[in-house]
Amino acid sequence: MIDLNQVGAKGALVEGAEGKWGIVIDQDLCTGCQACVAACAMENNIPFVGEEDAGYGRSMHWMRIERFWEGEYPEVKMTPFQPTMCQQCGSAPCEPVCPAFATVHSAAEQLNLQVYNRCVGTRYCANNCPYQVRSFNWRDYERPAPLDNQLNPDVTVRRKGVMEKCTFCIQRIHRAQDQAKSEGREVRDGEFAPACAQACPAEAITFGRLDDPESLVSQLVRRGNGVRLFEDLGTQPRVTYLKGGA
Amino acid sequence: MAENISLLAIFPDLGPASEAIEQLRALGVGDEAMNVISGIPVTEAMLGRPRQWTNVPRLAMGGAAVGFLGGAFLAFGTPSLYNVYVGGQPLIPGPPSVVVIFELTMLGMLISTFLGVFLDSYFPSYRPMEYVAEISDGKIGILFSCPEKSRDRISKALANLGAEKIETAEAQQL
Amino acid sequence: MSGTKHQDNRRPQSPHATDHEMEHLRQQHLMLDPKPRGELNAMVMESMQTVTWKFWLTVALLGAVVLVALFGAWGYLIAEGLGVAGVNRPSYWGIFLVNTVFWIGISHAGTFISAILRVFKAEFRRPFTRAAELMTSFGLVQAGMSIFMHMGRVWLSYWLFPIPNQRGIWPNFHSPLSWDLLAITTYLLASTMYLFLPLIPDLAMARDRSTGWRKNFYKILALGFRGTEGEWTHLRTALNIFAFAIIPVMFSVHTIVSWDFAAAMRPGWNSTIFGPYFVIGALHSGMGAVVIVLAVVRATMKHMQYFIRAEHFDAIGKLMLIISMGWAYFFFNDYMVQWYGGDKYTDYLLHWHEAGPLGWMWFAMLVVNIVIPWAVLWNKKWRSNPWLVAVVGLLINVGMYFERYIIVPISLTINRMPFTWRLYQPGIEVPLSIGTLAFFILLYVVASKLIPIIPVWEVQEGQMAHSLKKFGRETVVTVSELE
Repeated sequence: MIDLNQVGAKGALVEGAEGKWGIVIDQDLCTGCQACVAACAMENNIPFVGEEDAGYGRSMHWMRIERFWEGEYPEVKMTPFQPTMCQQCGSAPCEPVCPAFATVHSAAEQLNLQVYNRCVGTRYCANNCPYQVRSFNWRDYERPAPLDNQLNPDVTVRRKGVMEKCTFCIQRIHRAQDQAKSEGREVRDGEFAPACAQACPAEAITFGRLDDPESLVSQLVRRGNGVRLFEDLGTQPRVTYLKGGA
Repeated sequence: MAENISLLAIFPDLGPASEAIEQLRALGVGDEAMNVISGIPVTEAMLGRPRQWTNVPRLAMGGAAVGFLGGAFLAFGTPSLYNVYVGGQPLIPGPPSVVVIFELTMLGMLISTFLGVFLDSYFPSYRPMEYVAEISDGKIGILFSCPEKSRDRISKALANLGAEKIETAEAQQL
Repeated sequence: MSGTKHQDNRRPQSPHATDHEMEHLRQQHLMLDPKPRGELNAMVMESMQTVTWKFWLTVALLGAVVLVALFGAWGYLIAEGLGVAGVNRPSYWGIFLVNTVFWIGISHAGTFISAILRVFKAEFRRPFTRAAELMTSFGLVQAGMSIFMHMGRVWLSYWLFPIPNQRGIWPNFHSPLSWDLLAITTYLLASTMYLFLPLIPDLAMARDRSTGWRKNFYKILALGFRGTEGEWTHLRTALNIFAFAIIPVMFSVHTIVSWDFAAAMRPGWNSTIFGPYFVIGALHSGMGAVVIVLAVVRATMKHMQYFIRAEHFDAIGKLMLIISMGWAYFFFNDYMVQWYGGDKYTDYLLHWHEAGPLGWMWFAMLVVNIVIPWAVLWNKKWRSNPWLVAVVGLLINVGMYFERYIIVPISLTINRMPFTWRLYQPGIEVPLSIGTLAFFILLYVVASKLIPIIPVWEVQEGQMAHSLKKFGRETVVTVSELE
């Protein structure tokens, strides 16, 4: 018997719904304050594109808060905010279409990697992402002094023509893993968090290891009121959204 | 032993040219000693000439085989050398391999066909060669070699059949 | 084979046809109107070597447009980045891809005429195979440039080629873009070789009839061709192999280009019919472009009215009508299945196509791709009017450009995340598109004065094969199988 959770429909070895790192977002707690967006931009050296480009759909934030409403004015009802970032799909549609192998699957962290110095900018990956979470460097954006003092030395600064996206703050993952390894132990659950989870004042974003059943993310996923975006497309996203729960 | 000379006879049309070839054979000029030069391809059957052999189809098949191997190397060798997993697909993907192998097979076949023409025809060849410009104006030329002493006899026979010009074939810079 | 005075069997003889009938047939059909080869050669040489002030003015104007709108604007694009183009989230691809698909489409007509019509022994192809094949080569140049234009870091595009390197990685052959690279390279090389092979005998003719720099030029390119039996055999064998082999290459190229879209999981893109749909779309726009080129060549170059006649436009017009019906079939297939399927986002997309701000484009596309060809090209008299057919061809090209514009930037606007929907507005793509068109025309105009645009040996071969035969009271054109 072929277990399609172990072997994908194309015969490729795919991990099941389990994986290493994952995020749970509680949409009941999210206030839409965008602190996570700002923190992500600070942590990952995301450039400021300016008013005109932002209005034309070129803002480069790796995370966005999607807001929808129901009804007509004045009976407008807000629906829960939806923070959207790269879902780090287990079977990522962005990966096979890059001709330069600039977006590949990492075996170690089981994340979708973006390799800046292989990207030639064909933007096929961005077209193929059903979540539309990839940002492209349309220009070389300036950082007039003293903004350049704010750059994070752990993260590459990207030039024009290169694609980028959320990495689950892989630099923080690696730093925590290095720290734990030098102390001869495993990384503890909750020891570190990506910038968005760290900044959220409502603690709506939880980060951890999905393959550790005792981690907070695994417990939250097991709560049962979680959904994943476009799960039926077979992308195996690592982000679970909790709605209407306890 | 009489020395052999090369003559070039120009005919205005297919009919007289084919009669001339038969006449030349009757006068002792072998098929291997003759070559027909024309401005449009006239088939050997029309002129009563033996079939020409060409290596081009064999070279095309050989090139297709080389292209196939090249395509197989790209399709199977690349993932073996650099095993990078993408998108939940197997390391060596089925349908993409078909595409890659097909394209390179066709490329191999067509390039080797093209180069086969060059090889078989000894192109490019910029040495002086036996030729007259009238041939590209639609005349049919018969280049043949015969013993010196038969020259007059053959020339008269060909002239009777309608040859416009019979001259010693001089290798000229084209 | 008696030794009596030979009959001039080039001129179609029919003792029973009236002189009037004969004259009419001769006027209508190039193949029944043979002239001595020397005269054909002289006509072609004269049309090639006659260079007037109009030619230089055209070249100067086109050259200026190419310099500014193509190379100048491209340099600016590379320096500033793709921000000066109109692409954004979610339309990451825009007019550059539209142009790529458009130019590859145009290039398919050349192969259709020189390969498929040769295989089917359609004799009417003879005078214009080279004119069409030139479109293939030059169209592919424009397509290649458009691909390079759309890349974010084009100076690193050599990373997409499988060559030994120190980066420790080769290109990804899972990606349809890598298949594109292989397919377009194969097609470009194949069609250039297929252009060159039958050109060799005509270059030899030109070599024999020119002086000065032209003679040197033709001498080098003619490779020492004389027309010996061996040379003709090798050449004709190669042409037969090419004609058969380049047909699957042609089909595969545009199919692979269509897979750039069909392999993606976008609503409206992930359609299994894109392969044949794109191929027939390519033929549709390509044949339209061929008639435009032929009408212009006929009007601007000397003696071309002898070689390219109303009968050719009639024949191509019939093909255009059939291809238009084929295109309508595949379009309806794609549309009907999407419309019926009821997938939410596909529904939004179809509504966006028809009723969005650019809905007029969708309707215009259907009118010029289907209604106008069907209304005009059924009539033989209209089909025989070169300028009318050329106008229909131009409209078809406009319609096919709209079709690709709808498929790329308009369809990209609608995706599964409505928060990202945003209209695409072209930026520097507009001058760059004009630049590629000007470059295409410039290359063509220059080539028309450098190489003989009519394959004279093939025309003579055809004229040799055609004769008139009496069936009862009717005089009928017959074609002999020369091979």
